[in-house]
Amino acid sequence: MIRVEHLSKRYREIVAVDDLSFTVDEGEILGFLGPNGAGKSTTMRIITGYMPPSAGRVEVAGFDVFEHPLEFKRRLGYLPEHPPLYPDLTVREHLGFVADLKGVPRRKRRTEIDRVAELTRIGDVLKRRIGNLSKGYRQRVGLGQALLASPPVLVLDEPTVGLDPSQIMEIRELIKSLGGEHTILLSTHILAEVAMICRKVLIINQGRAVAFDDLETLAENHEESGRSLTLEEIFLKLTAA
Amino acid sequence: MKRTLAIARKEIIAYFTTPIAYVVFAAITVLGSWFFLSLLGQFQRHSFELTRMGRDDMLAHMNLTDQVMVPLVMNLALVLMMSVPFLSMRLLSEEKRQGTMELLLTTPVRPLEIVAGKYIAALAILTTALALTLSYPLLLSAFGSGDQGAVEWPTVLCGYLGLFLLGASAMAVGMFISSLTSSQIVAAFLTLMLLLLTWVVGWKAVDVEGAAREVLLYLSSTQHLISFANGMVELKDVVYYVSYMVLGLFLTHRALEGLRWAA
Repeated sequence: MIRVEHLSKRYREIVAVDDLSFTVDEGEILGFLGPNGAGKSTTMRIITGYMPPSAGRVEVAGFDVFEHPLEFKRRLGYLPEHPPLYPDLTVREHLGFVADLKGVPRRKRRTEIDRVAELTRIGDVLKRRIGNLSKGYRQRVGLGQALLASPPVLVLDEPTVGLDPSQIMEIRELIKSLGGEHTILLSTHILAEVAMICRKVLIINQGRAVAFDDLETLAENHEESGRSLTLEEIFLKLTAA
Repeated sequence: MKRTLAIARKEIIAYFTTPIAYVVFAAITVLGSWFFLSLLGQFQRHSFELTRMGRDDMLAHMNLTDQVMVPLVMNLALVLMMSVPFLSMRLLSEEKRQGTMELLLTTPVRPLEIVAGKYIAALAILTTALALTLSYPLLLSAFGSGDQGAVEWPTVLCGYLGLFLLGASAMAVGMFISSLTSSQIVAAFLTLMLLLLTWVVGWKAVDVEGAAREVLLYLSSTQHLISFANGMVELKDVVYYVSYMVLGLFLTHRALEGLRWAA
């Protein structure tokens, strides 16, 4: 569903992403890990068509971002690191606007907004102005806007940041339940989250892929003194360099 | 088209949930009224003097359209030029600062639809502002008197068409400048300076002769308003304003496309 081939991004002399290749199969949730500044957000911005890569190509559902930008973007829901929301609009106005941009038909707009509001538990703030919402609510409105029009591919950049523990559990359950129907690329700092939601992980360090495997295979391949390392230990080991 | 209208609608909501539209409308009305009242006072004094001197021949030439509305349109142009930068400044720089450009560029929207939607909203605000100032000729026609009614509406409306074209061209230029920076203040200031420059460039015309003079006068944004204000639509004036508009819109579109490559 997502195919990334030899992706590179350079800012003058800094190399943010270096020859990265991976695929995410239909219905799969891929955990995307890496230390701060490893190039996760940059990679996600390229995959969603916000930024062009310096080299390489990206395909979503068979559409290349440069050859068919609209077809590409129609199939993609994106929650950036900082949810892009209009503080002056109410949540309903905002979601209505995004639904229009995504081409949700007028008569289905209301039910579609209510559907994502139900999923992300923001039904009680639909009439509030976004500027007055707490970080947790904004994060969930951002997730709701990514889910509008049910795009087959979701790219979520740290979706549980700023949420309280019970909200984190809810959102994790939600993301897990979205797998199967949606193909999801999930970036996060919380390793436990990956163990809970994903079967497969991609770990990058300094713009390069250092691991791309099933969690089980990864554990089997990293053994020390007779026992499998935890994901945390593997992560630290791989990103130490 | 649907997306264009969605963007226009969102933009209009933003104009009215932030104080900017109200503040600019209030300022335009206050300044406009001041100009209107002083022109009216002048008219009154002048006709009073002529009556006292018994110059009925000259009094016959006094009318509210030529002595009040024509100069008022020119004065309103100044008010408009001062206001447009503050209406255009947020159009794109706000999206950049807020990070919502990331939303616009990752949903299936063409840059052209973004530019068109924003411009439609800007023109709607401009039209509203101008409509408010229509209260002056309406007052004149309600309370004034003249041979063929108090005001010649074709002349007045022609003046307003000129004001709309002037405002629309300024708005397009302002939108382009707004697409270059994430600071609204910088966008407003640069736009204001540029509009002032196109305003005063004609003043230099008195110092030069021949072709240079023609060019300077042609570049001046107010020169092109004079015919409109006097009730004449001339092709060269329409072409002038429309070229500014097209240039502004084209550059904004280019800037939006370029944004993705610079990011």
